[in-house]
Amino acid sequence: MSALRLISNRTSQQQALSNSDYTWEYEYYEYGPVSFEGLKAHKYSIVIGFWVGLAVFVIFMFFVLTLLTKTGAPHQDNAEPPEKRCRMNSFVADFGRPLESERVFSHQIAEESRSLFHFCINEVEHLDKAKQSQKSPALESNIHFQEVPRSSGIFEEDLSCLTKFNIPNFVNTEQNSSLGEDDLLISEPPIILESKSVMQSSHRILD
Amino acid sequence: QVVVPEEVFFTIAAAGMLENLLVLIAVIRNKNLHLPMYFFICSLAVSDMLGSLYKTLENIFIILCKIGYLTPRGDFEKKLDDAMDSMFILSLLGSIFSLLAIAADRYITIFYALRYHNIMTLKRALVILAIIWTFCAGSSIAIALFSYEAATVIPFTILFPLMMFFILCLYVHMFLLARSHAKRIASLPTSTVHQRTNMKGAITLTIFLGVFLCCWAPFVLHILLARFCPHNPYCACYMSIFHVNGTLIMCNAIIDPMIFAFRSPELWSTFKKMFCC
Repeated sequence: MSALRLISNRTSQQQALSNSDYTWEYEYYEYGPVSFEGLKAHKYSIVIGFWVGLAVFVIFMFFVLTLLTKTGAPHQDNAEPPEKRCRMNSFVADFGRPLESERVFSHQIAEESRSLFHFCINEVEHLDKAKQSQKSPALESNIHFQEVPRSSGIFEEDLSCLTKFNIPNFVNTEQNSSLGEDDLLISEPPIILESKSVMQSSHRILD
Repeated sequence: QVVVPEEVFFTIAAAGMLENLLVLIAVIRNKNLHLPMYFFICSLAVSDMLGSLYKTLENIFIILCKIGYLTPRGDFEKKLDDAMDSMFILSLLGSIFSLLAIAADRYITIFYALRYHNIMTLKRALVILAIIWTFCAGSSIAIALFSYEAATVIPFTILFPLMMFFILCLYVHMFLLARSHAKRIASLPTSTVHQRTNMKGAITLTIFLGVFLCCWAPFVLHILLARFCPHNPYCACYMSIFHVNGTLIMCNAIIDPMIFAFRSPELWSTFKKMFCC
């Protein structure tokens, strides 16, 4: 912003300025020399203070967000029984490992909940795994066959919409399939009740 | 004065412009990417390009003045300087509003998921972008003309934290919903770990907002100090690192495509097609 003045500043600095004086000329205002003698604190105290403050703020924000992951959500309906929490902790090591066939469906729900954060994190391979794991239980159990694409479609609408990879597909599938809100409410295999309550909770957030 | 070498300036500015230009070309060429979300990302890329362009022009200007081709205090140069200032403010405002638009778009995607396609049509997205850029252009010209009056500096510096706070609220709300979903899923008989995904979400959110804050806040503070305490030796010392602040803004132009545009696999495949075939 002070291109012109910087040039004249540099040339004038080269000519005749004492070491303790510093001239800052900003645009069309001319400020007199600022002397650095007699300062109580360090010269760069504002600079250091600003950057330290900024770093502290960012780290604080990060810790607040991390704490949010550990404490409960204010609008959560189901209280987690402690056994499930222990089981969740025990699955830390098993992250990403394929589960058995009767558990594959909930595995892919978990996969798709992960895809919510993948609008931030480019993890296409997880989505591909989710899509592949959608197909494999359909082959194995007929009961899940129709529920799988439907509820995964709902989860895609609800959770995975943020994934940039999904949004074009999401928009296209919504156009092609005639699923309106009524259709989603009418078709109710028991597993879809889970996603329906999720959608209701998200609407509750809005109201 | 802390001086950043001109080669570094030019390299960073050129890299930023090239990257954002690539994003623009990729979105224009691929029909699948003609979506509101990508248009907002394009708007961010345009404002980043303007910022880098400004820095490049300023450096060329300085070099020309050093050679002696232009006089530092001429009338024409003052007008040119004003025009370049308004370009810079346009870039800054455009960045802020584009980030806001991206956050709002993602918010609508989550909370109005089923009606997203009706709420955010292509036409509406273009209208929103037109309004944003008209407003930014108008206020940038106004700020450049009436700069250094308190009336312009104060709203400008208030706008910045206000926008950041609003964007933070939007993202935190989305983050909370995602986490409640994850917890709901965790209550199913079997569950994979969600600590890790939530941690990743927290990290990504922090990166988004941390980059924005770290790159723009030093410059905003510089403007504040230049307006209110130019004679104070502490303030003068802060203002002496003005070049570093400018370089940070250009680094923002380089980092922004990485955290917004390049996360999309569709965009990546378009890049590969452009370069490999």
